[in-house]
Amino acid sequence: MSTTTTTSRTAPAPSSLAASVKFKTFATAFSISGPVIYCVIQFFNWPLFTFHPATDRLVWGYEAARSGEGPNMLWYGWTATTILIAAALGIIAMMLPERISRKIPLALVWIFPILAIPYVIYSLMPWWTHP
Amino acid sequence: MTGLISTNTFWTLWLFVHLILAVGLLGALTHQAMAVALPVRQPAGGIVTRFRAVPAAGYATAVCVLWVLTFLVGSYIYTKYRIYIRIPLEQGGYYKTGGFFDFKEHVATIGLVLLPAYWYFWKNAQNPEYGNARKGVTLVLAVMCWFLFIVGHVLNNTRGFAS
Repeated sequence: MSTTTTTSRTAPAPSSLAASVKFKTFATAFSISGPVIYCVIQFFNWPLFTFHPATDRLVWGYEAARSGEGPNMLWYGWTATTILIAAALGIIAMMLPERISRKIPLALVWIFPILAIPYVIYSLMPWWTHP
Repeated sequence: MTGLISTNTFWTLWLFVHLILAVGLLGALTHQAMAVALPVRQPAGGIVTRFRAVPAAGYATAVCVLWVLTFLVGSYIYTKYRIYIRIPLEQGGYYKTGGFFDFKEHVATIGLVLLPAYWYFWKNAQNPEYGNARKGVTLVLAVMCWFLFIVGHVLNNTRGFAS
Protein backbone atom coordinates (compact mmCIF):
# COMPACT_ATOMS: atom_id res chain seq x y z
CA MET A 1 0.00 0.00 0.00
CA SER A 2 1.43 3.32 -1.00
CA THR A 3 1.46 6.20 1.48
CA THR A 4 1.76 9.09 -0.93
CA THR A 5 -1.57 10.72 -0.05
CA THR A 6 -0.08 13.28 2.34
CA THR A 7 2.60 14.23 -0.12
CA SER A 8 0.13 14.73 -2.93
CA ARG A 9 -1.96 17.07 -0.75
CA THR A 10 0.97 19.23 0.25
CA ALA A 11 1.07 22.65 -1.40
CA PRO A 12 3.53 22.62 -4.29
CA ALA A 13 6.90 24.14 -3.54
CA PRO A 14 7.39 27.57 -5.16
CA SER A 15 9.58 27.71 -8.23
CA SER A 16 13.16 28.81 -7.73
CA LEU A 17 12.33 32.39 -8.70
CA ALA A 18 9.32 32.52 -6.40
CA ALA A 19 11.39 31.02 -3.57
CA SER A 20 14.16 33.58 -3.97
CA VAL A 21 14.41 36.26 -1.28
CA LYS A 22 16.45 38.38 -3.70
CA PHE A 23 13.63 38.28 -6.24
CA LYS A 24 11.13 39.19 -3.56
CA THR A 25 13.16 42.30 -2.75
CA PHE A 26 13.50 43.18 -6.44
CA ALA A 27 9.79 42.62 -7.17
CA THR A 28 8.52 44.61 -4.19
CA ALA A 29 10.96 47.49 -4.74
CA PHE A 30 10.09 47.56 -8.46
CA SER A 31 6.34 47.52 -7.86
CA ILE A 32 6.41 50.01 -4.98
CA SER A 33 8.61 52.52 -6.80
CA GLY A 34 7.01 52.05 -10.24
CA PRO A 35 3.81 54.10 -9.77
CA VAL A 36 5.72 56.90 -8.01
CA ILE A 37 8.39 57.01 -10.71
CA TYR A 38 5.76 57.04 -13.44
CA CYS A 39 4.05 60.08 -11.90
CA VAL A 40 7.38 61.90 -11.53
CA ILE A 41 8.44 61.02 -15.09
CA GLN A 42 5.13 62.23 -16.44
CA PHE A 43 5.22 65.42 -14.34
CA PHE A 44 8.71 66.39 -15.54
CA ASN A 45 8.08 64.93 -19.01
CA TRP A 46 11.13 62.68 -19.24
CA PRO A 47 10.35 60.11 -21.92
CA LEU A 48 13.21 57.81 -22.90
CA PHE A 49 12.16 58.40 -26.49
CA THR A 50 9.45 60.13 -28.51
CA PHE A 51 7.54 58.44 -31.30
CA HIS A 52 6.03 60.32 -34.22
CA PRO A 53 3.34 57.94 -35.56
CA ALA A 54 2.57 59.80 -38.79
CA THR A 55 6.18 59.51 -39.97
CA ASP A 56 7.21 56.42 -37.90
CA ARG A 57 10.09 58.48 -36.53
CA LEU A 58 11.66 57.56 -33.19
CA VAL A 59 13.96 60.00 -31.40
CA TRP A 60 15.74 59.77 -28.05
CA GLY A 61 14.32 61.88 -25.25
CA TYR A 62 11.61 64.47 -25.72
CA GLU A 63 10.80 66.04 -29.04
CA ALA A 64 7.79 68.26 -29.64
CA ALA A 65 5.42 67.58 -32.51
CA ARG A 66 6.85 69.09 -35.68
CA SER A 67 4.79 71.14 -38.07
CA GLY A 68 3.35 69.05 -40.87
CA GLU A 69 4.49 65.75 -39.30
CA GLY A 70 1.47 64.95 -37.13
CA PRO A 71 1.38 64.43 -33.36
CA ASN A 72 4.09 63.05 -31.10
CA MET A 73 3.61 60.18 -28.64
CA LEU A 74 5.29 60.30 -25.23
CA TRP A 75 3.59 57.46 -23.36
CA TYR A 76 5.89 54.75 -24.74
CA GLY A 77 8.89 56.76 -23.62
CA TRP A 78 7.42 57.47 -20.17
CA THR A 79 6.73 53.75 -19.71
CA ALA A 80 10.24 52.78 -20.83
CA THR A 81 11.86 55.33 -18.49
CA THR A 82 9.71 54.12 -15.60
CA ILE A 83 10.60 50.45 -16.16
CA LEU A 84 14.33 51.21 -16.41
CA ILE A 85 14.45 53.34 -13.24
CA ALA A 86 12.21 50.97 -11.26
CA ALA A 87 14.37 48.02 -12.36
CA ALA A 88 17.51 49.90 -11.30
CA LEU A 89 15.97 50.63 -7.89
CA GLY A 90 14.96 46.97 -7.63
CA ILE A 91 18.54 45.88 -8.32
CA ILE A 92 19.87 48.37 -5.76
CA ALA A 93 17.34 47.07 -3.21
CA MET A 94 18.59 43.51 -3.86
CA MET A 95 22.05 44.64 -2.73
CA LEU A 96 20.75 45.81 0.63
CA PRO A 97 21.27 43.56 3.66
CA GLU A 98 18.24 41.35 4.27
CA ARG A 99 17.64 42.90 7.71
CA ILE A 100 16.95 46.20 5.88
CA SER A 101 15.10 44.88 2.82
CA ARG A 102 12.77 42.89 5.08
CA LYS A 103 11.55 46.19 6.53
CA ILE A 104 10.09 47.40 3.22
CA PRO A 105 6.33 47.68 3.96
CA LEU A 106 4.58 45.33 1.52
CA ALA A 107 1.31 47.27 1.77
CA LEU A 108 2.90 50.06 -0.28
CA VAL A 109 2.55 47.79 -3.33
CA TRP A 110 -1.20 48.53 -3.39
CA ILE A 111 -1.27 51.88 -1.51
CA PHE A 112 0.98 53.80 -3.95
CA PRO A 113 -1.02 52.96 -7.09
CA ILE A 114 -4.18 54.16 -5.33
CA LEU A 115 -2.43 57.39 -4.31
CA ALA A 116 -1.16 57.84 -7.88
CA ILE A 117 -4.68 57.99 -9.31
CA PRO A 118 -5.63 61.47 -7.97
CA TYR A 119 -2.40 62.86 -9.45
CA VAL A 120 -3.11 61.18 -12.80
CA ILE A 121 -6.61 62.69 -12.86
CA TYR A 122 -5.14 66.10 -11.98
CA SER A 123 -2.49 65.80 -14.71
CA LEU A 124 -5.27 65.32 -17.26
CA MET A 125 -7.00 68.55 -16.21
CA PRO A 126 -6.74 70.17 -19.71
CA TRP A 127 -8.97 67.37 -21.01
CA TRP A 128 -11.58 67.78 -18.27
CA THR A 129 -11.74 71.57 -18.37
CA HIS A 130 -11.55 72.09 -22.12
CA PRO A 131 -14.42 74.37 -23.15
CA MET B 1 -0.84 42.63 -45.96
CA THR B 2 -1.58 44.45 -49.22
CA GLY B 3 -3.91 42.37 -51.41
CA LEU B 4 -4.82 39.86 -48.72
CA ILE B 5 -6.84 42.09 -46.43
CA SER B 6 -7.40 45.82 -46.39
CA THR B 7 -5.48 48.09 -44.02
CA ASN B 8 -8.72 48.81 -42.22
CA THR B 9 -9.38 45.09 -41.69
CA PHE B 10 -5.79 44.53 -40.53
CA TRP B 11 -6.09 47.07 -37.72
CA THR B 12 -9.63 45.97 -36.88
CA LEU B 13 -8.33 42.41 -36.41
CA TRP B 14 -5.62 43.65 -34.04
CA LEU B 15 -8.25 45.60 -32.11
CA PHE B 16 -10.25 42.36 -31.90
CA VAL B 17 -7.17 40.48 -30.60
CA HIS B 18 -6.77 43.23 -27.97
CA LEU B 19 -10.41 42.72 -26.98
CA ILE B 20 -10.11 38.92 -26.72
CA LEU B 21 -7.00 39.16 -24.55
CA ALA B 22 -8.70 41.78 -22.38
CA VAL B 23 -11.75 39.56 -21.88
CA GLY B 24 -9.51 36.69 -20.75
CA LEU B 25 -7.63 38.98 -18.38
CA LEU B 26 -10.82 40.47 -16.98
CA GLY B 27 -12.29 37.02 -16.31
CA ALA B 28 -9.16 35.69 -14.63
CA LEU B 29 -8.66 38.76 -12.45
CA THR B 30 -12.33 38.96 -11.47
CA HIS B 31 -12.36 35.29 -10.40
CA GLN B 32 -9.19 35.84 -8.41
CA ALA B 33 -10.37 39.10 -6.81
CA MET B 34 -13.64 37.48 -5.75
CA ALA B 35 -11.77 34.48 -4.35
CA VAL B 36 -9.45 36.69 -2.32
CA ALA B 37 -12.06 39.24 -1.17
CA LEU B 38 -14.82 36.76 -0.33
CA PRO B 39 -13.11 33.42 0.24
CA VAL B 40 -15.41 30.40 0.24
CA ARG B 41 -15.45 28.51 3.54
CA GLN B 42 -17.65 25.68 2.32
CA PRO B 43 -17.61 24.10 -1.15
CA ALA B 44 -20.59 23.86 -3.54
CA GLY B 45 -23.42 26.40 -3.25
CA GLY B 46 -24.83 28.58 -6.02
CA ILE B 47 -23.18 30.06 -9.07
CA VAL B 48 -21.76 33.03 -7.13
CA THR B 49 -20.16 30.72 -4.57
CA ARG B 50 -18.69 28.55 -7.29
CA PHE B 51 -17.43 31.72 -9.02
CA ARG B 52 -15.53 32.58 -5.81
CA ALA B 53 -14.32 29.03 -5.19
CA VAL B 54 -11.67 28.93 -7.91
CA PRO B 55 -8.05 27.90 -7.12
CA ALA B 56 -6.97 31.54 -7.29
CA ALA B 57 -3.21 30.99 -7.06
CA GLY B 58 -3.25 29.16 -10.38
CA TYR B 59 -4.35 32.34 -12.17
CA ALA B 60 -1.31 34.46 -11.26
CA THR B 61 1.01 33.61 -14.14
CA ALA B 62 -1.86 33.70 -16.64
CA VAL B 63 -2.88 37.15 -15.38
CA CYS B 64 0.69 38.44 -15.77
CA VAL B 65 1.05 37.00 -19.28
CA LEU B 66 -2.38 38.31 -20.33
CA TRP B 67 -1.72 41.79 -18.89
CA VAL B 68 1.60 42.01 -20.78
CA LEU B 69 0.11 40.68 -24.04
CA THR B 70 -2.92 42.98 -23.81
CA PHE B 71 -0.56 45.85 -23.03
CA LEU B 72 1.69 45.07 -26.02
CA VAL B 73 -1.16 44.69 -28.50
CA GLY B 74 -2.79 47.84 -27.12
CA SER B 75 0.53 49.67 -27.52
CA TYR B 76 0.73 48.48 -31.12
CA ILE B 77 -2.72 49.72 -32.12
CA TYR B 78 -2.26 52.91 -30.07
CA THR B 79 -0.28 54.48 -32.93
CA LYS B 80 -3.37 54.29 -35.16
CA TYR B 81 -5.62 55.53 -32.35
CA ARG B 82 -3.42 58.61 -32.00
CA ILE B 83 -3.96 59.64 -35.62
CA TYR B 84 -7.25 58.17 -36.77
CA ILE B 85 -9.29 58.22 -33.55
CA ARG B 86 -7.99 60.89 -31.22
CA ILE B 87 -7.70 63.67 -33.80
CA PRO B 88 -11.32 63.24 -34.96
CA LEU B 89 -12.41 63.04 -31.30
CA GLU B 90 -10.75 66.38 -30.62
CA GLN B 91 -12.19 67.88 -33.80
CA GLY B 92 -15.62 66.72 -32.69
CA GLY B 93 -15.17 68.27 -29.26
CA TYR B 94 -15.14 64.94 -27.38
CA TYR B 95 -12.45 66.06 -24.96
CA LYS B 96 -13.61 64.08 -21.95
CA THR B 97 -13.65 60.90 -24.05
CA GLY B 98 -10.09 61.61 -25.16
CA GLY B 99 -9.14 62.38 -21.57
CA PHE B 100 -10.42 59.03 -20.42
CA PHE B 101 -8.23 57.30 -23.00
CA ASP B 102 -5.17 59.09 -21.61
CA PHE B 103 -6.34 58.08 -18.13
CA LYS B 104 -6.52 54.50 -19.41
CA GLU B 105 -2.95 54.54 -20.73
CA HIS B 106 -1.62 55.76 -17.37
CA VAL B 107 -3.57 53.12 -15.45
CA ALA B 108 -2.33 50.38 -17.81
CA THR B 109 1.31 51.31 -17.12
CA ILE B 110 0.78 51.58 -13.35
CA GLY B 111 -0.85 48.14 -13.43
CA LEU B 112 2.03 46.76 -15.47
CA VAL B 113 4.64 47.71 -12.88
CA LEU B 114 2.64 46.00 -10.11
CA LEU B 115 2.91 42.59 -11.77
CA PRO B 116 6.28 41.40 -10.37
CA ALA B 117 5.13 41.81 -6.75
CA TYR B 118 1.67 40.48 -7.56
CA TRP B 119 3.21 37.34 -9.10
CA TYR B 120 5.59 36.84 -6.19
CA PHE B 121 2.82 37.18 -3.58
CA TRP B 122 0.63 34.63 -5.37
CA LYS B 123 3.47 32.19 -5.95
CA ASN B 124 3.95 32.26 -2.18
CA ALA B 125 0.24 32.12 -1.39
CA GLN B 126 0.88 29.68 1.47
CA ASN B 127 2.89 32.37 3.30
CA PRO B 128 0.54 34.41 5.57
CA GLU B 129 3.11 37.23 5.66
CA TYR B 130 1.99 38.21 2.15
CA GLY B 131 -1.76 37.73 2.70
CA ASN B 132 -2.82 41.38 3.03
CA ALA B 133 -0.48 42.65 0.32
CA ARG B 134 -1.64 39.89 -2.03
CA LYS B 135 -5.28 40.76 -1.39
CA GLY B 136 -4.65 44.50 -1.80
CA VAL B 137 -2.68 44.30 -5.03
CA THR B 138 -5.13 41.77 -6.55
CA LEU B 139 -8.12 44.01 -5.83
CA VAL B 140 -6.29 47.07 -7.18
CA LEU B 141 -5.39 45.22 -10.38
CA ALA B 142 -8.98 43.94 -10.76
CA VAL B 143 -10.45 47.44 -10.38
CA MET B 144 -7.86 48.78 -12.84
CA CYS B 145 -8.70 46.02 -15.31
CA TRP B 146 -12.43 46.77 -15.15
CA PHE B 147 -11.71 50.49 -15.64
CA LEU B 148 -9.46 49.78 -18.64
CA PHE B 149 -12.04 47.47 -20.15
CA ILE B 150 -14.98 49.83 -19.73
CA VAL B 151 -13.07 52.86 -21.07
CA GLY B 152 -11.87 50.80 -24.03
CA HIS B 153 -15.39 49.62 -24.68
CA VAL B 154 -16.85 53.14 -24.58
CA LEU B 155 -14.06 54.45 -26.83
CA ASN B 156 -14.69 51.67 -29.29
CA ASN B 157 -18.36 52.63 -29.33
CA THR B 158 -17.35 56.22 -29.97
CA ARG B 159 -15.01 55.45 -32.85
CA GLY B 160 -13.56 51.95 -32.98
CA PHE B 161 -14.17 48.85 -35.08
CA ALA B 162 -13.89 49.47 -38.81
CA SER B 163 -13.69 53.26 -38.44
